Amino acid sequence: MSSREPRASGYFRSSYDQGLRLIETRTQWTSLIAFLLALGAFPFLATSFQLDLACQVFLAVIGSIALMLLTGYAGQVSLGHAGLIAAGAFTAGILFKEFGAKFWITIPAAAAMGALIGLIFGLPSLRLRGLYLAVSTLALHFIVIYLGGEYETKRGFSTGIVIDAPRIGDLVLRDRKIWYFVLLAFAAVTLLISLNLLRSRTGRAWAAIRSHETIAEALGIGVAGHKLLAFVISSSMTAVAGALFSYYRGFVSVEAFSLFLSIQYVAMIIIGGMGSLLGAILGAIFVTLLPYVIEYAVGLLPNARSYAGMLAAFNYSAFGIVMILFLVFEPQGLVGIWRRVQNYFLLWPFKQKPLGGGRR
Amino acid sequence: MQLAINIAVLAAIYALIACGYVLIYRVSRVLNLAHGELMMLSAYLLLTTASLFSKNPLIALTAAVFLSLCVGVLVYLFLMRRMTGEMVLAAVLTTVALGVLLRGLVVLIWSAQQQNPAQALGWANYSIPVFGAGRISAAGAALIAVTTLIYAGLFLFLRFSRYGIRMRAAGQNPLLAAQRGISLHVIYALAWGLSTFTGAMAGILISLDSGLDSTMVLIGLKAFPAALVGGLDSLVGALLGALIIAAAEVLMIYYVDALLSDVVPFLVLILMLIVRPWGLFGTREELDRV
Amino acid sequence: MLKRNLIATAVLAGLTGATAAQDAYNVGLTGALTGPAAGTYAPAVDGLRIYIDKVNAAGGVNGKKINLILLDDSAQPARAAANATRLVTDDKVVLLLNASLSSTYAPVVGESQKANVPLIFASSVCPKDVYPPANALQFCTTAFAANYDSRAVLDFVKATAKAPVKLGLAAMAIPISRGEIDYAEELAKTLGMTPVSKQIIPPPTPDYTPFATLIKEADANWTYSWAPWVTQVRTLEGLRRLGWTGDYIAWSHLEAENELARLKDGKFYVVGANALFQDDLPIHKEIAAAAKAANSQYPVNQMTEGWIAGMVIEAALKAAGWPANAEKVTASLSNLKVDLKGLRGGELQWTKDNHFRTRQYYRVYRWDEAKGAIVRVRDWAAFDVK
Repeated sequence: MSSREPRASGYFRSSYDQGLRLIETRTQWTSLIAFLLALGAFPFLATSFQLDLACQVFLAVIGSIALMLLTGYAGQVSLGHAGLIAAGAFTAGILFKEFGAKFWITIPAAAAMGALIGLIFGLPSLRLRGLYLAVSTLALHFIVIYLGGEYETKRGFSTGIVIDAPRIGDLVLRDRKIWYFVLLAFAAVTLLISLNLLRSRTGRAWAAIRSHETIAEALGIGVAGHKLLAFVISSSMTAVAGALFSYYRGFVSVEAFSLFLSIQYVAMIIIGGMGSLLGAILGAIFVTLLPYVIEYAVGLLPNARSYAGMLAAFNYSAFGIVMILFLVFEPQGLVGIWRRVQNYFLLWPFKQKPLGGGRR
Repeated sequence: MQLAINIAVLAAIYALIACGYVLIYRVSRVLNLAHGELMMLSAYLLLTTASLFSKNPLIALTAAVFLSLCVGVLVYLFLMRRMTGEMVLAAVLTTVALGVLLRGLVVLIWSAQQQNPAQALGWANYSIPVFGAGRISAAGAALIAVTTLIYAGLFLFLRFSRYGIRMRAAGQNPLLAAQRGISLHVIYALAWGLSTFTGAMAGILISLDSGLDSTMVLIGLKAFPAALVGGLDSLVGALLGALIIAAAEVLMIYYVDALLSDVVPFLVLILMLIVRPWGLFGTREELDRV
Repeated sequence: MLKRNLIATAVLAGLTGATAAQDAYNVGLTGALTGPAAGTYAPAVDGLRIYIDKVNAAGGVNGKKINLILLDDSAQPARAAANATRLVTDDKVVLLLNASLSSTYAPVVGESQKANVPLIFASSVCPKDVYPPANALQFCTTAFAANYDSRAVLDFVKATAKAPVKLGLAAMAIPISRGEIDYAEELAKTLGMTPVSKQIIPPPTPDYTPFATLIKEADANWTYSWAPWVTQVRTLEGLRRLGWTGDYIAWSHLEAENELARLKDGKFYVVGANALFQDDLPIHKEIAAAAKAANSQYPVNQMTEGWIAGMVIEAALKAAGWPANAEKVTASLSNLKVDLKGLRGGELQWTKDNHFRTRQYYRVYRWDEAKGAIVRVRDWAAFDVK
């Protein structure tokens, strides 16, 4: 979304300030306002189930943006994302259960916990690359889940920790419509933070590290510091998403954070398109909604109820196939498709973009 | 005594699974995270062949193992071949996706119910006394024997046979190997076939010993630390790694807390990653060059 | 961006195309129909489906059909939560059912409380809230029940054992199983038994022998396991492989009947609240015939739980009348008596503050080598629930 090149054909910037703007052209303004209006109107038109889906998407968006920063931009692979979400959720849950802490304490605490874990598990990244790093984050997942499970059993919350809905004065955050806007706000803030981070020195340092660590170091970038920073920021965002999840659903339990969840998040950024925030959002939408679309499609089949027992298997298979198709045929992900379509219309009637200059 | 036997059986399980990871990684630098699923698939294939050749368990067994080998080769030809030359990570994620797909397919075809291949073959799992002091199940003994045989076979194959040497060459330097006329695709396909073959042996023997359901995938995952601790590209390492992980796990069950046994392989793994990321016997990855 | 939004709304709009049938009782279930835990739940749910289809084919309840909506949660809490939301708000069900792992309870209970819709746990373990004094909205038809099961088991062990009992215990490393085994350990002490070894076994264990070794080396002569079937039976197999010859007692899950016949172990007892199919009651024949007609892919002898849930639902809706709403159904559930026709030791009765059952009956079975069949070791033993 934050292409530093001008959007339309030609160059319109006439002062340095314009280079800093996130939104440049009038078309962008109109489509953004229209989009915001649509987002604002959605909860008043949608059914409760659709609202629930939208909330799930927002939660997924926060998580996938965080993972995109780490993997798509800074190039550090993580398979422990579900562990971090669990860490955030458990921080909120435990603080609530043990100390009756309010959400304005638990959510920052979750962020801090995320940052701490990010720091610890960023440390191996100073020594490890690629695969080995992925494996060490995998270990993180198992350790967090073990600790969470021990807490649940030792304290006798065998069916999970139940968390009361957060409360601001007399307002109890229970209505889905309110949740919709709360989660939307969190997702939007996450997006804005990320957009600005990526345009800054930090973002450029990450890109350099992803491209080539040794060269980045030779250019005078503090590789170790920036790697750790990537882990810390990404983890604390993820942990916040976990805490929000626990409040939104009203419970925390280890079973909600399986290894498959990590795979889903990795799938989001692959399917969306590596190295793009828009990709993270598209991927989150796609992966979150896919099972429901399949469920709906199966529901249309004749004699649907006899397939009910196979739905999850369908889901698994379809999810695997979609992931494979994207990896093999469209490594750029949904964003790649989106850009091709856009280019097609931008360039029409021509087929090729001009050499040099222009948009990537 | 029983303690030693328990460790030996568990180590044999882990070693047999781990060598599947090692074979593929050594040759193509791809980590096959679908190994657990492929292993499970083989065990389910045995279930089908057992019902096809219900009179002749040995034929059923051979057919299942052969089919698994074919599955491995096919996976390479139709899927992983497209990922050669891509980012290593993309290839790894492809195997993850393959794993997810297989999990779904297995349930679609064989349902999620607990199954018993041993019963389908009409075999009982006998218990054999060892040195008077301990006991081992027939399937457990078979596991140890098969693991020994497969490792011996692999050592001989990689050292002396033409294709074994080619595999090693391809693993060491694919570019040079290709220039010397070694067909990389054939070698990679062979590695995948061999890897699923060993995985199939593991999956089948485990399912004969203690039944079969979709949790077998997790066993595959638990064996992964064994491969990594030993060094991802070393068979000797895998053997030793399996022994270390199995011993740690069983001793933990005996003397500390059974619940920790689930986490211990991964703790050992983290320790190893901090101290010696390339494992006990692995080759150190090359330094960056600009 | 506009386009993305349009597509998203189109997808969302499409999803809710399923219109709720207005002229029927809407009943919704979220269950582990697939996934690793499905083996214990899917057959029961299929039994329920077949029962409801049968009721509908015979004209329904009060002249109206029952519209049973089955949603799969693969035992994932997040999916269960989404399912429950959907059932309550979009499908406007008058009754919720849960047939899944205990980890899904918190979110489903939350939805049920929020919307004031009664919730029945069918084939999933009964939570504490259904025992007296019961939560107004939670009910349970499932056979197995924390604490009462261990009481029945240890009562049987005490009555059967000739020598002083040295008890080995085996649980799966999931909270519910661990809790029950901890309870059994304490209870055993008060009954004059000596718990000698307690093993808590993580679910994906490649080899059960190390755990079995510990039980054997502790010199147990009885071993009790209350866990998912896999753990119960693999621990037993592990023990037998080591040459352990003691008596083993475990909960009779859905799979028990087939597994007893497979293991052919004369010292393996299963305790359960459901009559096994080998008793061959008329109701069993009826279930078998219905399952065959419906072409079910699951073994008939695993459907009892679903059948009982179906009977309860039918009775409750009948008493609630037409048109029914959640309140009426809750009221009729809170004062219900269902004749289970021999599927259990007696009728299932719910009162205002007891949503489990007023009396729980247990039977003990084992394999008899001489007869080559499963035999009843002890007939219905009743335990009052207070």
